Amino acid sequence: MLWVTAAGPSVYKETSAPTYGEGRLVSIVEVQGLRKQYDPPKGVLAVDGVSFDIAQGEIFSLLGPNGAGKSTTISMLSCLLHPSGGDALVDGHSVVTDAQAVKEAIGVVPQDIALYPDMSARENLLFWGKMYGLAGEALKTRVDEVLELITLVDRQKDRVEKFSGGMKRRVNIGVALLHKPKVLYLDEPTVGIDPQSRRSILDGILALRDQGMTILYTTHYMAEAQELSDRIGIVDHGKMIAVGTNGELVKIVGEEAHVELSVDHSLEGMVERWAEVRGVTTAMIDEDRAVLLVQDANEVLPRLFETAAAAGSRITEVNVTEPNLEMVFLHLTGRALRE
Amino acid sequence: MSRILAIAWKDLRSTMRNAPALAMMLVAPLALAALLGFAFGGGQSFSISATKVAVTNADTGASVAAGTAENAGGVIVGVLKSPDLKDVITVSDKSSAAEARKSVDDGKTAAAVIIPAGLSRAIFGSGSTAPATAVELYENPTQQIGGAITESIVGQALLGFNGARAAALAAAGLATANGDGARAGKLAQEAAAKYMQGGGAAAGVSVTQRAPRLPGRQSTKDVGVTGTILAGMMIFFMFFGANNVARTIIDEDRAGTLPRLFTTPTPRQTILGGKFSSVFVTVLVQAVILLVAGRFIFGIDWGRLDAVAALTLVAAAVASGLALLVISLVRTPAQAGAIGAGVYLVLALLGGNFTGSAAAGGTYANVQKLTPNGWLLQGWDAVMRGGGLGDIGLNLLVPLGFAVVFFAVAVLRFRKRYA
Repeated sequence: MLWVTAAGPSVYKETSAPTYGEGRLVSIVEVQGLRKQYDPPKGVLAVDGVSFDIAQGEIFSLLGPNGAGKSTTISMLSCLLHPSGGDALVDGHSVVTDAQAVKEAIGVVPQDIALYPDMSARENLLFWGKMYGLAGEALKTRVDEVLELITLVDRQKDRVEKFSGGMKRRVNIGVALLHKPKVLYLDEPTVGIDPQSRRSILDGILALRDQGMTILYTTHYMAEAQELSDRIGIVDHGKMIAVGTNGELVKIVGEEAHVELSVDHSLEGMVERWAEVRGVTTAMIDEDRAVLLVQDANEVLPRLFETAAAAGSRITEVNVTEPNLEMVFLHLTGRALRE
Repeated sequence: MSRILAIAWKDLRSTMRNAPALAMMLVAPLALAALLGFAFGGGQSFSISATKVAVTNADTGASVAAGTAENAGGVIVGVLKSPDLKDVITVSDKSSAAEARKSVDDGKTAAAVIIPAGLSRAIFGSGSTAPATAVELYENPTQQIGGAITESIVGQALLGFNGARAAALAAAGLATANGDGARAGKLAQEAAAKYMQGGGAAAGVSVTQRAPRLPGRQSTKDVGVTGTILAGMMIFFMFFGANNVARTIIDEDRAGTLPRLFTTPTPRQTILGGKFSSVFVTVLVQAVILLVAGRFIFGIDWGRLDAVAALTLVAAAVASGLALLVISLVRTPAQAGAIGAGVYLVLALLGGNFTGSAAAGGTYANVQKLTPNGWLLQGWDAVMRGGGLGDIGLNLLVPLGFAVVFFAVAVLRFRKRYA
């Protein structure tokens, strides 16, 4: 079920456990009014009353620009930060009052590589396994399984510091899988790695979902959120501004296409003129380009060229994109997602 | 418990794989101890090589009593050549003052003692008729210790002459006051003659080498300079070793592994306990390696095993507690390095890590007792001299008290930081 809040008052809202696919699913993560203010009362309000649910076996993505509050939200759900307000239940346990039980239910993959570089992949996994309470043969067996899973069996004795970025990322994820958590948190796990490694990680995440694992994923890459997620929560300035499936969210902007135009001069004047053109619903400047939302690109594009010609400007580049999450974000916040 | 050990073992292994850290913890104290030990004569004693002294005696002597002539210069030469001083100075006779000075200029001797021709007349002359004169001590300015020893010996001898002369003049003055002037001069000469035949001829000046002793304690053996220095260096570098490991708390916080540890079901107090344990275990291993190395490389006799073990454990506790306290007060690795180094250096200077504790006296001895390392060093000195656990009770308890306070404050600060 879709719910949306604009950057201000609620437009419409649905906070019950999500339903999608075949009927209602059981929530394993329930977040209610989660709030975090650093150094109150005047400090930064990083998370401002965020609420959402994640169903068992679901991939739920938090999508938003850097600084939106995604990592702070994950830190609170990991019991790393104490919420300033609100609460969250993970597998039925409160992050505020029952942190120990929450930690046993979750696996956390932090945004930065959090491994011991002077230890081998196997040594890292053995150490972290002990921290998750594994021991003896069970630990060794599970480490072997995880090494298989992250396809690093042949490099298990090499020090992590000698690994490529992608391999480190895989070990970073492997650590969080050691104790077979019920919920896996992945905080931007593909930042700074090559496309091949990214593909490998995304495939691995989908495979984990297929095995029944619940995944909370944060990203500022729209394509990742679209590809992976059963549902997506869009966050901005610490607020959850929309939640739904990809299809539901895209419907927010209707059938509007995203048109980017570059002109040889007078960009601001052209944007003002284009905003008046029939079929253009939104017109703004993004860096050195005009960004327009249009109802039917095939009909509107000729009018845009005519307007430019009439104003004495020459269009030097055109880029048309069908409706997507980027456009949803643009629509809801007036800013591009990458800002 | 197994998780605490896992964290401690992980840190210990990381430290052992860190070559610069190992060099700082193990090689530096051994190298410094060896260097300073050899500089002070090496091996197991404080002995300083004998000072070479050139002597020329131009004194022609003087009549002391009827029929008796004495040569004060000869007495001084006799003192310098005394068998009691053979380990301290080696005397070579020169025929002239110029030759004696040349031997110093050429670096062949550390000092030259030049005895003037009128020395005996100056000493044994009566009343104001005695000419003023002085024994010249010609020193090599780069060998001040040798010069100081020679000056001390010659000074002692001259002091004896002057004392005898003063006593004789006093007696003569008394006789003159009684109207017996002729007898006064005789008395003075007789007194001088008796001095020459008794105290002076007996060469009463001597220097006895003596190893420092702890007040009120029986010392049964001398302590080697290398052992004393290595004990000081060991404690000093234990501070740095502990600091290196404790600093991993900040390093791990910044690298993200500490926050990640906090997301695991392992309780925070267990994680911090593991980090604390790793600091203690690391410096304990460091101390044991240095003690063993000192025994086998330098032949140092550290003393009774139980006392050495107790001192080592307490030293490790002090170093760990202090390092954790320092780390709990700083935010960055750079601060940890700079502030830690400052604190440890000041403590080492005050506590006597560079000078040894036994040689300290007066105010400095009291200052040393303001520091845990000062107490430890005194304890170490006592044990190396043959003391046992009973002799070093305070040397264990006081530093242990320091360690407990350091540790408690560090725990409070870490709890606040990582609550």
